[in-house]
Amino acid sequence: MAKDMPQGVGAGAAGTATARPRASGWARILGWAGQRARLIAPLVTLLGLVVFFSLTTDSFFTTRNLWNGILSQYAVVAVAAAGTTFVLLCAEIDLSIAAVSLLIGVLSAYFWITPVFGIDFGTWGVLIGLIAAALIGYANGFFAAYIRIPSFMMTLAMSTIALGLAVWVTQGKPIFKVPGLLRTLGGTGSKIGPVPVPVIVAAVVLLVADIVLSYTKFGRYVYMTGGNREAAEMSGVNTRRVVALCLMISGLTAGMAGMLNVGKLNGANPQPSNELLIFTIASVVLGGTSLFGGEGGIKNTLIGVLIFGCLRNGLNQVEGISIYIKQAVEGFFLVGALLLNVVALRLERIRTQAE
Amino acid sequence: MQRDDAGLTPIPPSPSHDPPAAGALLALRGVTKRFGGATALDGVDFELMPGEIHGLLGENGAGKSTLMKILSGFQAPDEGEMTLRGEQVRFSSPAEAKARGIGMVYQELSTIGALSVAENVFLGDQPTTRGGIINWKRMNAAADAQLRELGVQVDVTSRLSALPLGLQQMVEIARVVFSGADVVILDEPTSALSVRESERLFTSMRELRARGTSLIFISHFLEDVLAVADRVTILKNARKVATLPAAGLTKQRLIEMMIGRDASTLAASYQEGVTLPPPVEAPPVLEIEGLSIPGAVRDASLTVRAGEIVGLFGFLGSGMTEIARALFGQLQPHAGVIRLDGRPVQIHSSTQAKRLGIAYLSENRRATLFPRQEIYKNMTLAHLDRLVPPLFRKRSELGIAEQMVKRTGVRPPNPHLLAGYLSGGNQQKVVLGRWLTRQPKLLILNEPTRGMDVGAKREVLDLIKGLKAEGVAVLLLSAEPETVMTEADRILVMSKGRVTKEFAGERVSKDLLMAHA
Repeated sequence: MAKDMPQGVGAGAAGTATARPRASGWARILGWAGQRARLIAPLVTLLGLVVFFSLTTDSFFTTRNLWNGILSQYAVVAVAAAGTTFVLLCAEIDLSIAAVSLLIGVLSAYFWITPVFGIDFGTWGVLIGLIAAALIGYANGFFAAYIRIPSFMMTLAMSTIALGLAVWVTQGKPIFKVPGLLRTLGGTGSKIGPVPVPVIVAAVVLLVADIVLSYTKFGRYVYMTGGNREAAEMSGVNTRRVVALCLMISGLTAGMAGMLNVGKLNGANPQPSNELLIFTIASVVLGGTSLFGGEGGIKNTLIGVLIFGCLRNGLNQVEGISIYIKQAVEGFFLVGALLLNVVALRLERIRTQAE
Repeated sequence: MQRDDAGLTPIPPSPSHDPPAAGALLALRGVTKRFGGATALDGVDFELMPGEIHGLLGENGAGKSTLMKILSGFQAPDEGEMTLRGEQVRFSSPAEAKARGIGMVYQELSTIGALSVAENVFLGDQPTTRGGIINWKRMNAAADAQLRELGVQVDVTSRLSALPLGLQQMVEIARVVFSGADVVILDEPTSALSVRESERLFTSMRELRARGTSLIFISHFLEDVLAVADRVTILKNARKVATLPAAGLTKQRLIEMMIGRDASTLAASYQEGVTLPPPVEAPPVLEIEGLSIPGAVRDASLTVRAGEIVGLFGFLGSGMTEIARALFGQLQPHAGVIRLDGRPVQIHSSTQAKRLGIAYLSENRRATLFPRQEIYKNMTLAHLDRLVPPLFRKRSELGIAEQMVKRTGVRPPNPHLLAGYLSGGNQQKVVLGRWLTRQPKLLILNEPTRGMDVGAKREVLDLIKGLKAEGVAVLLLSAEPETVMTEADRILVMSKGRVTKEFAGERVSKDLLMAHA
């Protein structure tokens, strides 16, 4: 996927560039990689992690671990990260991901067991959950883009609202009955052949997101709005609508992630946790998408989620690391990976300036 | 344009410099500054007496800003010397110049709107109690006393942004003066001020002069300079023309000296003037009637016909840019009617303006270019919704971009290059190309050729002429008289928010234009 879809910084520039003195093979490869630093650097990190954990543990590089330990476990993060990528690309942020996913997960289970207004929604509750997720996301977007409350604050406030609603709807009690559809889509045990269904769901979401970002006008508007909001505005792009829609998409994917999670855990527990938020944003940024907008994409996010998944999964299997220090070690690894991204981009910039 | 010429002319042996006049506070001797091949200042002498208001005049590119940057320590001269209170000095930074008592007040104020007046007067140097806490009482009292000395009475505890611009400027001047500057350089201080506000500024300037402070007053507004300056220095093509007492000088005389009667310069033909072509007889595309934008434009009316280039000439603060922004939905006019093809329109957003067939090339390149995106993405953005199918491949878009790169003459002609790596002139071509992917009805160009070399300028202007021939209505805004004189069918001059003069079908010269600006 990463190879055959040209996108991002300087893709294909070599093809039509004006005649340059012939470089040696290695220099040419380095030059090619330099132009794609935003994608190559995280890819190198990912390969490094895979090789490292394969050598240091026996259990990491096994079919079972790759499917169930990593891909299936981080499918939820991947779904949420797909939407968050839109938000970061247009230089905004969504801090309500975890709370929205919790609320929507809870809602879909609630509709399954409780008739609302005398209507038994059953599995249709899933659809209502998705609509609610999109509406919450759009509310974030509306206040951030049109009323100009910074998205940082708006989504933080929305996070509190969503958490509160989740607790209110369930009266603080977990729900243990979950629609069969969600158990099929999100359950770790549900598989088609060797492939866990949640992985397929994540792949579909990522693919759709990639198509939207790379091949539609809206996707281009997202990049341009993030690249230079004022210039996009002065080119007749409705930047407010773009920002509002990006936050809506993020709400929608957060809701989907919440539902998958409910299916995975076979229950909905209104327990506040910001794990999903941190995992998601860390994954997107690890993949090389800029927090300042305009650069990066879904391919980056895919790699970022895999880096994050391998890191957490792999560290758990390395023997001799005290359980109490693991989290700190994870943090150091994260800093290392981010450092590599920054250095690679700096090199790329120097290269392109020299040309 | 002028600066380029100066770079090509051989520099004659520098004229013998007079010895510095006794008692000069600040003196420059034979100062020269070059940028690459262009000479920005060429053996310039300049003298500032204690307690003097000294006007500094010249066209765009004459060397005013370079002189100002040298005085305020932003740039070091290549040749020549500077003496301050009889002592030879060489500043390596603005901080050093400031420490020696030279203060700058920029066109763009550096005060902070969210802080109080008093806090701004003492910005970075607030009086504190022994414990290191700001002594508000003392600060407010001192700020009040100091502003009163300049003849300004305001509530020093009010937020600065609540004051009119003229007063904000006074606060900045007060800060510069009371931080110990005895030389204050004012860069275009009156461009955004009303007549009354300007008067108040002049009163304060005279007040300062009486205290022994020397002021350098840089301005395009010749009346303002004549009203307040004791002496004026005129620069032209990087050289000093003269330093004269302001008494007895007229605006006309100043314009003559600024433009010069030097037949060797390229601008020569413009001094005689050009004859504007007979008026275009076509239905009007744009009609503006009685347009007012608070604080910027008052009762402006203009018409642009199909296949006509209307030049708007004016300096910063004239209100031209605000008219353009209103036409592109970026500003909402207070009063007045805008008609497109005879139909009244209210333009609320750039998206709507674009749909109406209006294209706007802003003067601010930072607000138009996507430096970290490829040229082709930069070019197809404006009309992407009509150029490519819903699900597009890069190829469909590349074809359009390649055509446009060819048409606008972007160099290097590689649509994959990041736009940020192009030269300024080529960046401008990219942004212009963005608006030509669909033929606009009305093309508004704000300083389209500023900072371009002669060749690129020609290419862009030829492109605009081509559009005119195809029936596009063009509104061309510029502060360079040459640009509007060579290209426009009609010229409207704006000054301080009003259209002051229209030239059509008649002879127009640089001094005529400047006399109305």
